[in-house]
Amino acid sequence: MPVKNRFAELHSDITAWRRDLHEHPEILFETHRTSATVAEKLRAFGCDEVVEGIGRTGVVGVIKGKSTASGKVVGLRADMDALPIHEETGLDYASKTDGAMHACGHDGHTAMLLGAAQYLAETRNFDGTAVVIFQPAEEGGGGAKVMCDDGMMDRWGIQEVYGMHNWPGMPAGSFAIRPGPFFAATDLLDIEVEGLGGHAAKPNETVDTTVVAAQIVGALQTIVSRNADPVKTIVVSITSFETSSHAYNVIPQKVRLKGTVRTMTPELRDLADKRVNEICTGVAAAMGAVARVTYNRNYPVMVNHKAQTEFAADVARSISGDCSEAPLVMGGEDFAFMLEERPGAYILVGNGDTAMVHHPLYNFNDDVIPVGCSWWAGIVEQRMPAA
Amino acid sequence: MPIKNRFAETHAEITGWRRHLHQYPELQFDVHETAKFVEEKLRSFGITDITTGIGQTGVVAVIEGRTNSSGRTVGLRADMDALPIEEATGLEYASKNPGKMHACGHDGHTAILLGAAQYLAETRNFDGKVVLIFQPAEEGGGGGLEMCKDGLMERWGINEVYGLHNMPGAEVGSFHIREGALLAATDEFEIIITGQGGHAAAPHEAIDPNLAAAHVIVALQSIASRNVDPLAQVVCSVCVLRSDSEAFNIIPHRVTMRGTVRTLDKDVRDLAERRLGEIVDLTARAHGCVAEIDYDRGYPVTVNHADETVYAADAAEVVSPGVDRATPPIMAGEDFSYMLEERPGAYIMLGNGGGATVHHPEYNFNDDAIPAGCSWFAELVERRMPVV
Repeated sequence: MPVKNRFAELHSDITAWRRDLHEHPEILFETHRTSATVAEKLRAFGCDEVVEGIGRTGVVGVIKGKSTASGKVVGLRADMDALPIHEETGLDYASKTDGAMHACGHDGHTAMLLGAAQYLAETRNFDGTAVVIFQPAEEGGGGAKVMCDDGMMDRWGIQEVYGMHNWPGMPAGSFAIRPGPFFAATDLLDIEVEGLGGHAAKPNETVDTTVVAAQIVGALQTIVSRNADPVKTIVVSITSFETSSHAYNVIPQKVRLKGTVRTMTPELRDLADKRVNEICTGVAAAMGAVARVTYNRNYPVMVNHKAQTEFAADVARSISGDCSEAPLVMGGEDFAFMLEERPGAYILVGNGDTAMVHHPLYNFNDDVIPVGCSWWAGIVEQRMPAA
Repeated sequence: MPIKNRFAETHAEITGWRRHLHQYPELQFDVHETAKFVEEKLRSFGITDITTGIGQTGVVAVIEGRTNSSGRTVGLRADMDALPIEEATGLEYASKNPGKMHACGHDGHTAILLGAAQYLAETRNFDGKVVLIFQPAEEGGGGGLEMCKDGLMERWGINEVYGLHNMPGAEVGSFHIREGALLAATDEFEIIITGQGGHAAAPHEAIDPNLAAAHVIVALQSIASRNVDPLAQVVCSVCVLRSDSEAFNIIPHRVTMRGTVRTLDKDVRDLAERRLGEIVDLTARAHGCVAEIDYDRGYPVTVNHADETVYAADAAEVVSPGVDRATPPIMAGEDFSYMLEERPGAYIMLGNGGGATVHHPEYNFNDDAIPAGCSWFAELVERRMPVV
């Protein structure tokens, strides 16, 4: 089975939806227009139930099959939010909201799941219930967790959950997946170094926080180079270094460091947490300063469940003929929270040779739409075959 | 089928050989007594085609199968050399050679291959040829390379080659293998940083090479933490730092550092070498010093070939209930890598049970692993060259 014929017919409609979403990007939980559009379409398709306001601005739609004798309920999830990036694509449907851009293809994800919902609501050629999940705030807000915290899984009796992300650099419409840890845990570091500010001409009367912070940045490298097992995967990056004063002649009282830690196992995550704290407080103390560390555990490792991964790959193969083994991704993905609550799998679909996600020249590839929609439909129809 | 029954019978005998070898450890290429012991044992098994002095002190022997219609020749390799460590096991068969010790279990590897040779020479239950390879100087001397340079592979027409290593911490008799990179490339570097020595009370009149060296060590951490793909593997360790003065009140003129770089991929190896050179040179210059770098590429990555890894794991599965086909790579080095560069083959790890790890003065090879190791070699031969 290649793509479903119906999606060839719907391709231009779905493309139009995608481009409309692209023109109107919304950030984090502020996906009000997007959510309203999604809910309106789901109702127009004749979904059995459409509920807004799950996880603040998330939308959940229910589509019952011709029969529901199997008692199975499968969740399908797309993310709706955009990024605080100034778009530079020059497209005629480029963002109309300055400083916001669909630079991660969530416009495409949402449009594809809408397309699949229309088809599933038309055909209902399955024995069970499909729950379509449109979440806000994937980009740092943990919208998936907020939806889970609202009791989504229990309220709709979801048994398995699936997700999909476009992937620049992979041939358009090809699939890749891997079982087990897939996307990294993404933790956030806030480190405040406080010393004793003073005149730059009299460093001996100060505790120079710039020097202390520089030593901390150097010492933090040893978490990767000395503490972690070299065959394991970890990244520690200090991404922001800001002195409390911007003057040429003032030794700052405080320095604020920000950064991120990426890991693939809970053990390594614990080690990184412990070592970040020890290194920052220890080095600062050695230099006569104080470091206050906030190690914020953000998205957990996204772990694909084995059986669901095999199933998702089988569906992908039935559409594209092949499904390759994806490499580990050091990026984070808050679908991890849903996979902590229910078995499921996350798959990558190739976006072709486009700019990378989060780049101001990135654009979702509309050619991928029929393939992505067909995968969603296949997940439902093959997991809950009509009796 | 678990272990081959014959090895239950010869277990005590092979253990005796192992303990004899343990008592008389020899280093690097100076494995004369060990090589002689190997040769004598092989002759006592009725093997006549024995060649000594390959790779200086290596021993090569041939066992013909019952038939040789396959035309296939399988090489089986063990290493014979010990380490310059003072043994602290307190065993009754502890080393009698002061300052030398079989602390990596090569005594066990040699004994296991001898045991397999005895069985294969008795049974010859295969269609082809087995070449036994006993190599010196695995521990830093590159004995594997020396044997290859002496034409080992061509002279004996070896088609594929296999080896094993004991693995402390893994259950006795379990097997662990992976396709692709199993053990690391092990490079060594020596860095000499020269500043301007002087009185410690007048640092401004000196150029302090200690400080430059300290900055170099910190900056080298960034190879692992910043330069290499986090999904790839690298270790860069500075292990030795020596100032040319040991006085309390002298800023030294020169500092020598030594260390090692471990990688599992050729491109990562190139990147690490390049970055080490840049970091050392430029950091030293930033501190007014001059750096000389001697970067010595040691053993290459030990890369298990795909098909042969499957053969090795399949044979292991016949003789042991515990076979891990996806063991994580190990950042230690292994000069069997040279043989795997010349011929397809595979290297497998054999569980040594609890106790000290290799290169530790309390380490000991576990004789309980002997039947599994011998059975693996024998099974591999009989499966790769089945009797027609």
